[in-house]
Amino acid sequence: MLVIDNRGVATPPETAEAPEDRRAPRVVLADDDILLREGLASLLDRSGFDVVGQAGNGVELLAQVRSIRPELAIIDIRMPPGHATEGLQAARVIRAEMPGTAIIVLSAHVEVEEAMELLAGGEGTGYLLKTRVTDVAEFIETVGRIAAGGSVVDPSLVQELIRARRRRDPLDVLSPREREVLALMAEGASNAGIARRIFVTEGTVEKHVRSILTKLDLPESETEHRRVLAVLRFLETR
Amino acid sequence: MSAPGTGADGGRAAAADAGRDPPGQARLRQLAEEQAALRRVATLVARGIDPAEIFSAVAEEIRQLLGADNAGMSRFEPDGTSVVVVGADRAGSDPVPLPAGTRVELRDWIPSGIVWRTGRPTQADEDLWSTVSDPVADRLRELGIRSAAASPIIIEGRLWGIVSAWTRRGRFPPGAAARLANFTELLATAVGNAESRAELAASRARIVAAADETRRRIERDLHDGTQQRLVSLGLDLRLAQSLVPAELRELETEIGRIADELSGVVEDLREIARGIHPAILSEGGLGPALRTLARRAAIAVELDIAAMARLEEPIEVAAYYVVSEALTNATKHAHASVVRVAVADRDDCLHLSVCGDGAGGADPARGSGLIGLRDRVEALGGSFEVSSPPGEGTLISVQLPLRRH
Repeated sequence: MLVIDNRGVATPPETAEAPEDRRAPRVVLADDDILLREGLASLLDRSGFDVVGQAGNGVELLAQVRSIRPELAIIDIRMPPGHATEGLQAARVIRAEMPGTAIIVLSAHVEVEEAMELLAGGEGTGYLLKTRVTDVAEFIETVGRIAAGGSVVDPSLVQELIRARRRRDPLDVLSPREREVLALMAEGASNAGIARRIFVTEGTVEKHVRSILTKLDLPESETEHRRVLAVLRFLETR
Repeated sequence: MSAPGTGADGGRAAAADAGRDPPGQARLRQLAEEQAALRRVATLVARGIDPAEIFSAVAEEIRQLLGADNAGMSRFEPDGTSVVVVGADRAGSDPVPLPAGTRVELRDWIPSGIVWRTGRPTQADEDLWSTVSDPVADRLRELGIRSAAASPIIIEGRLWGIVSAWTRRGRFPPGAAARLANFTELLATAVGNAESRAELAASRARIVAAADETRRRIERDLHDGTQQRLVSLGLDLRLAQSLVPAELRELETEIGRIADELSGVVEDLREIARGIHPAILSEGGLGPALRTLARRAAIAVELDIAAMARLEEPIEVAAYYVVSEALTNATKHAHASVVRVAVADRDDCLHLSVCGDGAGGADPARGSGLIGLRDRVEALGGSFEVSSPPGEGTLISVQLPLRRH
C-alpha cells in the first residue's frame, strides 16, 4: 500500500525494498487507548505491515509477544495499572527474552535517560514521541527502518541534547553542516539516509562523518546502532 | 499580670541574704527582681524563639527567684502522668535529678496531682508524703524534697501542664505558688505560639502537597487524555487525506494543512504539560529531572549531583522548583553566563545550592518567585538562604530535612 506524504507524493515504505523478505513485518501493538490503537493499527495495515496482535497493558503485551513472536512490538510507555513507565518495563522483558524482536516505545514526552536505557538493550530500537505517528509518511519509514534492525531516537530529544548550553562546548568546533549531520547520526539515520535528508551524495556524508568523529575524538562504530549510542552518550556528557 | 502575693513574708526559702535588709526593702527588691525576670522572659517570648529555650530560661529564673533546688516545666499526658519537659538544677554537689523526660505518676498529695485535679496554683509540703507508702512518696523522700509548689499552664482553655519548683531546705513561704503563676501566662503564650507555628507549617505543607497533586493530575490528563485524543484525530485526518480522490487535489492539500496544524497544537500542549508538572520528576526522580532542566536552560548549567536514591516526593518537587526558578532568575534578571547547581544528600538532609555569576541584588522580600520557594522549603521544615550582593552574583542555599524510614 502506498502512503501519501505531506506534499501529496506517494512513497513506498522502505522495507518493501528489501528483496529477500517481501513478507509484511508482523507487529504487535500495545496501547490502553483503544481509539488510538485502532487508528495506528489501521495505518500500519495500510502501509505494508501486518498487525497481528493488540494489547491494552503490559501483561497482555508480553503474553502476545511470547506466543506470536512478531518482528516488531510498538509500545505505549504509559499503560495500566500505574500509568507510569509500564511500557519500558515490558520492553525490558521482551529484550531479555526475545532479543530478535524490534521495539518501538512511544511516549507523550521523551527523556534522555529512558532513551539510553532502551538503546542499551540492543539494536532494532525506537524511542519516539507519540505525536510522530501523525507525520504518517515519516513515521512509516521510521517503523520500517527499526523493523529492519535500525535504531531511531526522536529528533526533539536530539535537538534538546545538541542545544544544551555548555561553557566550553566541544560542539563549537563543528561547522553548521557538521552539526546537522551529527544530529541526524544521533537520530539513527544511515549515511544514505542522511544524504537523502540534506540533498548531498553519500560520499559527501561519509566525509562529514569522518570529520565529525575526528574533531570530537569519537571512535568509528561498527554498526549504526552503536553509532547512535556513542553520539547520544557524547552529547549527554559533553 | 498580677503582682506577687502581698502578704508573703519574703521570697527565697533559703536565700542567705534575706535578712540583711529591713522587711519593706526586701519585699521591694524581691518585686523588682521578679519584674526583671518576667521582663526577660517576655522578651524571649516576643522574639518567638524556640520554646525549649524559653522553658530553660524560665526554669532558671524561677529557681533563682524562689531559691529552689529544682524548677521546671512538666506536661500532662493522657495516661495520668506528667512528663518533665525541662528542668533547672541548683548548680552544686547535690542536684535534684529530674531530667527532661522524667515521667511522674500523678498523686493527690503532690503538687502536680493537685493542680491536675483543681486547676489552681498549689503548694505541698513534706508532711503530705512523709508517711505514705507509695513509690512516688518513696522517691520524694529519697530525693529529700521537703516542699514543692506548682502552677497550671493553661493553653486556650486546656490544662497543658505545670510549672513547678522543689526544695530540700525547709518550706517555700506562702505565696510561692502565686509567684509561679506570674510566669505561666508567658509560658502559655510561648507554647501556644510554638503550636500555632507547627500547625501553620503543617497546613502550609498540606496546601503545597495538594497543589502539587493537582498539577500532577492535570499533566496526566493532558498527556493521557487530551493529547491521545488529538493524536487519534490526527491519524483520522491522515486517513481521510489518503482517501481523497486524485481530482480533488485542493481538498487533499487542505486536509493535510489541518493535520499539520493539529501537530503544532499537540506540540504546544506538550510544552504546557511539561510546565505544569515535569513527568520525569515523578518517573525518574530528582537527578534525571534536574539534568533535563539544565539541558533546556537558556544558559550553561554545571550540575554536580551526588548519587542519590529517590527522595520523598515533596522534597524532590521543592528541590526541582528551587533550581527551576533560580535558573529562570539567572537568565531573565541577572544575565548570568553560567550557573552551578550542586545537590547532595548527607546527614539526613538534602543540601542544594545554586550559584550564578550574574548581576546579584536579588531580594527575596521584593515579590520575586523566591518568596514562593522560601514558603515551599519552610513548609517542609527546611531553610532557604539567598546571598546576592550587587555585582557579585547570587547564591541560593537550601537545606531540606529528610525523613528516614
